[in-house]
Amino acid sequence: MRGVWTVARKDLQSELRSKEAINASVSFALVILLIFSFAFEPTADETRAISGGLLWIAFAFAGALILNRSFARELQNDCLEAVIASPVAGWELFLGKAFGSFLLLFGVELICLPVFGIFYGINLTKTLWPLLLILVLGTWALTALGVTFAALTVNIRLRELMLPLLLYPALSPALMASMTLTTSLLTTGSFGTNNQPWIRLLIGFDVIFTSLALALIEFVLVL
Amino acid sequence: MSTMSTRQKLVYGLGATGTLLLIWNLYRVLLVLPDEMQQGAIYRIIYFHVPAAFVGWTLFLAALVASALYLWNKNLALDGFAASAIEVGWVFCSINLVTGMIWARIIWGIWWTWDPRLTSMFICWLLYGGYLVLRGAIDDAGQRATVSAVLAIFAFADVPIVFMAIRWWRTQHPSPVLETGGLAPEMRLPFWLNVFVFLLIGLAITLLRLDQEDTKRELEGLRRHAHAHAI
Amino acid sequence: MDKRNFLYLFYGLSLAWGLVAAYLFVLMQRSRKLRAELDRVKRMVGDQ
Repeated sequence: MRGVWTVARKDLQSELRSKEAINASVSFALVILLIFSFAFEPTADETRAISGGLLWIAFAFAGALILNRSFARELQNDCLEAVIASPVAGWELFLGKAFGSFLLLFGVELICLPVFGIFYGINLTKTLWPLLLILVLGTWALTALGVTFAALTVNIRLRELMLPLLLYPALSPALMASMTLTTSLLTTGSFGTNNQPWIRLLIGFDVIFTSLALALIEFVLVL
Repeated sequence: MSTMSTRQKLVYGLGATGTLLLIWNLYRVLLVLPDEMQQGAIYRIIYFHVPAAFVGWTLFLAALVASALYLWNKNLALDGFAASAIEVGWVFCSINLVTGMIWARIIWGIWWTWDPRLTSMFICWLLYGGYLVLRGAIDDAGQRATVSAVLAIFAFADVPIVFMAIRWWRTQHPSPVLETGGLAPEMRLPFWLNVFVFLLIGLAITLLRLDQEDTKRELEGLRRHAHAHAI
Repeated sequence: MDKRNFLYLFYGLSLAWGLVAAYLFVLMQRSRKLRAELDRVKRMVGDQ
């Protein structure tokens, strides 16, 4: 497991020093929230009905920026070959990068949440802990699948286009579940009895796709 | 006739059988069968809408197996088969979506709705479309094969969701009729016959496409040979 | 036979089979291009 923390720490440190992706991500997410407020002319009720969707759109798009960099940062100076040839196992590399990206994206989301609450007049503190739970589950789906596809597309031309093109359809079940549950939390204050399947879907998605990624990552890394 | 390879004979055989059966079945579906009580003539589209989906998913399953096998033994012929199966399957998915939309426009009054069945099928279409786009973006044969194989495995995770959608959720899309016996007896033979017909035609086109993949591989080999000797 | 909606059935089936025909056409084009390319490269190798 040490390899996982080593890789995660390396990614986090290099990112926190330059702050390129974080700044870009936070700015992008805030701009999206701003543009949505022009598009929807929100009274509090209307926004609450679409709040889950808005938040997760912003997070998904901002996440793509972070995920792109997770493997792209290794392209210079043949770092990718060095990392693959190192004693770090494939699964450790995957989990390390996934954790690193997860923490970065989760940080971005935590910054965006109060801004969202202020812009749209929604009180987030009433349902904070369930909301954070959904954020964790949904963000992990995003980063686990995203890092896998980032590894797949790192050496391809049009990489920045292919990653979102492949990632968002594959991520849709998790995105839908996250959006539905977030909206339910912000409008009714609870998950709602009808939404139990969505929670199961989200957890199942996380488990299945993390396992699938771990199983297949060796094939992807020797490209 | 003797100069045709086995595969070509298979393509013509499957294609001809499929077409003949299709024509016979079309006669039955369009002219012999009576109308459904509430829907009028448009209900007959089910004989094309559902078989297209079944054959599409079957081809995706075949591609899944081929992709997994490719990752195991790296035989490029398997990658060629997966690519062919997915491309043809994607066309059948498109047919399914288009026929569904036309039926929906008549019966529901709207072209589209975001219920679980339609949404997941559309996502399936996007995923495999992305697979085809991805293949076009990679020039190196080995890399393309590996990336495609992994993507095919991930993409197939959506297919069970599409299939089970009308059983897991209450959807606007009609509920299951096949296993609940909701399909009238005289409809069953034409329906399953059309599934068989589509399967034959789908296989024929896949083999055609597979031929092209083999030609492409031969081409790449020859090019490498030419460049090696030119130096 | 009930003529209700028959027109749309016709449209639907035409579109479906039109898609198949279009795809077959694309395949044929691709085949022709591939064969031409193959002949060209074969000739190039033969010349060496």
